[in-house]
Amino acid sequence: MHRLMLGAVALLTGAMLAAPGSAYEGVDVADGGSISGDVKYQGDPPAPAKIVVTKDNEVCGKEKTSPDLIVGADKGIANVVVRISNIQKGKKLAPATTPPTFDQKGCEYAPHVLAFPAGSTVQILNSDGILHNVHTTSTANPSFNQAQPKFKKTIEAKIDKPEMPIKVQCDAHGWMHAWWISEDHPYYAVTDAKGAFKIADVPPGDYELELWHETLGKQTQKVSVKAKEDAKISVQMTKK
Amino acid sequence: MARRNTEIDEEKKSRSVLFLLSAVALLVTGLWAVWNDNISRRPWKIFQYEFRNLEYKRAQDAVGAESARLEADPQYEDLQKQLVAARQSLTEGETARQIADRQARLAALEKRLAVVDLDLRFVKSELEEAWYELDHAREFGQPEEPRRARIDKLEAHRVETKKQYDDLTHQKEQLESEMKELQAGVKTIEDKIADVSAERTKLEQRLEGMVVLHVGPLKMLQVPRIEQAVIEEYDRNAYNQPIARVDRCVSCHSGIDKPGFEDQANPFKTHPDRDHLLSKHPPDKFGCTPCHDGQGASVNSVAQAHGDVPFWEHPLLRGEKVQARCNKCHMDVADVDHADHIAMGQKLFENLGCTGCHLVEGLEELPKVGPYLRRIGAKVDPSWLTRWVTNPHQFRPSTKMPNFLFAPEQGTAVAAYLLQASTKESQEWLAQYPAPPGVDARNSTLVARGQQITEQIGCKGCHAFAPGEHGPRLGAGVDEAANGADTGAGLRTSKDIAPNLANIAEKTNGRWIFHWLKNPRHFSPVSRMPSLRLSDDEAAAVTSYLLTLGAPKPEPPERLAALARPETIVDGEKLVRKYGCAGCHDIPGMENESRIGVELSAFGGKSVEELFFGDRYDVPRTWDDWTLNKIRTPRVYATERIEQVMPQFDLPDEDIKELRVFLTSRNEHVVPVKYRYKPNDPAQKQIVDGERLIAKYNCSGCHQIEGKGGFIRAFYQENLSLAPPILYGEGAKVQADWLFNFLKGPVPIRPWLKLRMPTFNLSDEDTNVLVDYFTARARKDIPFVYVDTGAIAPENIAAAKQLMSPDYFNCFSCHVQGDKNPEGPPEGWAPNLAMAKHRLNPDWILQWIHDPQKLQPGTKMPSFYPGGPDDVFGGDEDRQIRAIRDYLMVLGLPEGNRAGTQVAQRPPAGR
Repeated sequence: MHRLMLGAVALLTGAMLAAPGSAYEGVDVADGGSISGDVKYQGDPPAPAKIVVTKDNEVCGKEKTSPDLIVGADKGIANVVVRISNIQKGKKLAPATTPPTFDQKGCEYAPHVLAFPAGSTVQILNSDGILHNVHTTSTANPSFNQAQPKFKKTIEAKIDKPEMPIKVQCDAHGWMHAWWISEDHPYYAVTDAKGAFKIADVPPGDYELELWHETLGKQTQKVSVKAKEDAKISVQMTKK
Repeated sequence: MARRNTEIDEEKKSRSVLFLLSAVALLVTGLWAVWNDNISRRPWKIFQYEFRNLEYKRAQDAVGAESARLEADPQYEDLQKQLVAARQSLTEGETARQIADRQARLAALEKRLAVVDLDLRFVKSELEEAWYELDHAREFGQPEEPRRARIDKLEAHRVETKKQYDDLTHQKEQLESEMKELQAGVKTIEDKIADVSAERTKLEQRLEGMVVLHVGPLKMLQVPRIEQAVIEEYDRNAYNQPIARVDRCVSCHSGIDKPGFEDQANPFKTHPDRDHLLSKHPPDKFGCTPCHDGQGASVNSVAQAHGDVPFWEHPLLRGEKVQARCNKCHMDVADVDHADHIAMGQKLFENLGCTGCHLVEGLEELPKVGPYLRRIGAKVDPSWLTRWVTNPHQFRPSTKMPNFLFAPEQGTAVAAYLLQASTKESQEWLAQYPAPPGVDARNSTLVARGQQITEQIGCKGCHAFAPGEHGPRLGAGVDEAANGADTGAGLRTSKDIAPNLANIAEKTNGRWIFHWLKNPRHFSPVSRMPSLRLSDDEAAAVTSYLLTLGAPKPEPPERLAALARPETIVDGEKLVRKYGCAGCHDIPGMENESRIGVELSAFGGKSVEELFFGDRYDVPRTWDDWTLNKIRTPRVYATERIEQVMPQFDLPDEDIKELRVFLTSRNEHVVPVKYRYKPNDPAQKQIVDGERLIAKYNCSGCHQIEGKGGFIRAFYQENLSLAPPILYGEGAKVQADWLFNFLKGPVPIRPWLKLRMPTFNLSDEDTNVLVDYFTARARKDIPFVYVDTGAIAPENIAAAKQLMSPDYFNCFSCHVQGDKNPEGPPEGWAPNLAMAKHRLNPDWILQWIHDPQKLQPGTKMPSFYPGGPDDVFGGDEDRQIRAIRDYLMVLGLPEGNRAGTQVAQRPPAGR
């Protein structure tokens, strides 16, 4: 009996060591609902900032629109990360069937916000054919700064731990920056050009939805998900 | 009769009660003696006994936990099952049947073998006999034939029998090996189990090793014994002969050098950061008291062992004071882990100017910390000076200048003397430096430009500009609000390295500021303030801006009139002499003054009896309390008859505690050379001297040097690439002669920085000290290198040109190349690669290209390797990196002039 108890303690300790803090458990979700909606700009959105390009003009062009804040025609905000911040149990975090791709095209990152499951290997492409460097500022994962000269069409970066956000920038082209989001559960989305998002297969329950935008900051929102129903949500964000 | 009767009476008396009582008393005394001798006078035995039990219990738990882990391990369980199955098979199953079969065959075989063996032996004997008979027949001339025939027959028989024997033996061996194999299943599994449970076996052995005696179910652990370290020749006796020091601390602190007791309270606790500290100071060599003090040889009571008894001069060092012995062996405490308090204490002691009044061995030659007062009349407003001398903390709480608690008329007197004594040199200076044109504090454009310049070129690396704001601080980062208590003389606040310039216009004037900014050395040959190489326009703008900070505040005319009165001046001279102003300032007429304070070289060794508490019966009678109160309120022990002159520093308690650690370290004990850290390594002294200069000139206000400092970086959090470069391994990075010349006359390296590396006007000696410092920190033994550029292979140059071209690494996308700038805004640029040959160490370039992030985490320079192109040198990356390095060594030199170019030249000043 004594030994058994010790064994149980040892097992528990082992389990805790293996996954510190991340209590997310993958299960089968049969009667999942979904969360969908949009993120809109409250008030009048500022005019998009312009960047005057003075380097590698033949590839990068002469002028760029800053990707810091992109607001669509009906005030939908693109590139907002929407995630459930307090989910403990849900569908398994399936490894991406195709690895996440991150391109450098016309001296801009595409996509500007890239979200993927932790443990993914990001395929970094250089469609420009000029020297770029991919410089990340990370805390949970090791930061790296990798050059991608013309002859290197693809480089790979494996991001093991969940972290948000990881800033990515190019030191050769000061205006180029992007964000990576590495998640330990599958309930996240990035808004499209209209500000719309959808998160599917959510087990019924009450959740906290976290919205993050690089210039508008963080915001949370309560949401209730019922079995096989879609919880509609509309959030407004604005400059503080 | 009577007598006899008495005797008879005596004989009749029984003494049994007395005997019983005596016997009991003897027994009790005997038991007490044993108890006292073994237990009550040996308190360490109890500690050791408890610790051994604790250790045994821990070891038992460890075995239990490991067993539990094994039992939960499916592999172990599987092996155990396999073992049971194999054993069963061996006794009852198929294996058993096979073995039985082999055994039966083996038995039959052995019977036959025995017969054949006997036969063979007989044949051999008979052969011997037959040979003998043949020899015998030869000797006596008998016929040989029949005998030879017998031999032949016997030999044939022997060969036949031998063949049978070999055959049977072979069969036997085969059967035996088959049996072994059948049994080996068990053995193999047993071996595997032993492998898997090796850890448990080890733990069990350790557990068993703790038991010295088994008596039935009882176990006896190690009997407590005195554990001691003998530190040879560590002390000296009254005749100055070396004697050993004996430390028995481990007799109670049994867990100190054992991992796993970190959670225990003392005395069982593992030494904090044991891996680091005790591996470098093994207790059997260094003992305990060399670092901790206390009475190492005593084990009779906790108080005695810790030296907390009257007349023991070195009681246990507690709290931050535990670092007070680091500098006995480590010269460069600033560079030693876990020595932050002593390092800070020493830094404060040196930089607050304590050595101006107090002599301390080893710190006799430090420069004066206060400003140069020989031309003070040309610099300050007399009204301001009278107020400043009376109480400097009122104008600037963060100043290092202490408050002498002068009465207003005393302050006026001191100011009067200083102004009078400096008249001649002030007038001469004014004659040479006229009022500058273009200074106008009312011109808002000019003022705004001036402010912008101060924010851009790096003034904030040293100075704050607003009341209450702090620049880089000398000690603890404590603010008035946090540290509370007003001591009556002012608030206790942390001190700034350089003056806060708030209200500077109350203190001085535009003419002085302008010329000071242009070149501080023209006013004060000993100033720490560097030249920022401002143009006249820039200096005028900055001056205009500074003149908007505060405004002159004239004192009443009668006070100003007193400044010129001869009797005031005479009073002032007496005060300047009495209070030792010349300890920190260069003052005309005070060139030959000596230190006015007591010598502190052995202050840490002073006993309470030697300290004067005056009338302060409320201060506890300990060295710590005396010192704390003394530095907090320096005249606290003054009495009606005994005057004290030490000024009020108003330091935060945090800083006072650090100072106390440094003072504790000042005693007469000298550690023998063999115990010191690298006593013969010149790097030690080079690092100490370098750190001292770095503190003086506040290099770390801007630069993060070897992981420390970089105050100004706080202003560049948005874009750290605009902050001053981090100096990490600088000695390995740059060529020594380049560094020397750069420090003497800085040139811009990073065109995108608005900050300016100032010109410090360092002497050759100081510049060499800094070069040596960086070389020593980088553990570079040889500072100078020589590269024979003539010997560089042409194919390396060609390969490097290809590698650096736009189709490959495109280096010049960011790097400046000679006078060719890259495209884009300057903040995206990188250093001029044509400078590399004179500036960078060739070996460092290899490491840098190999992995820049490793040498400077966060640098903008990306990693190109691994990942070099396959079509240069067949993808040999090391060769590619060497080729780039070789090319950098000649980049920018005219093509024809490359052969034999010497890269690193010895500096003209010589070393």
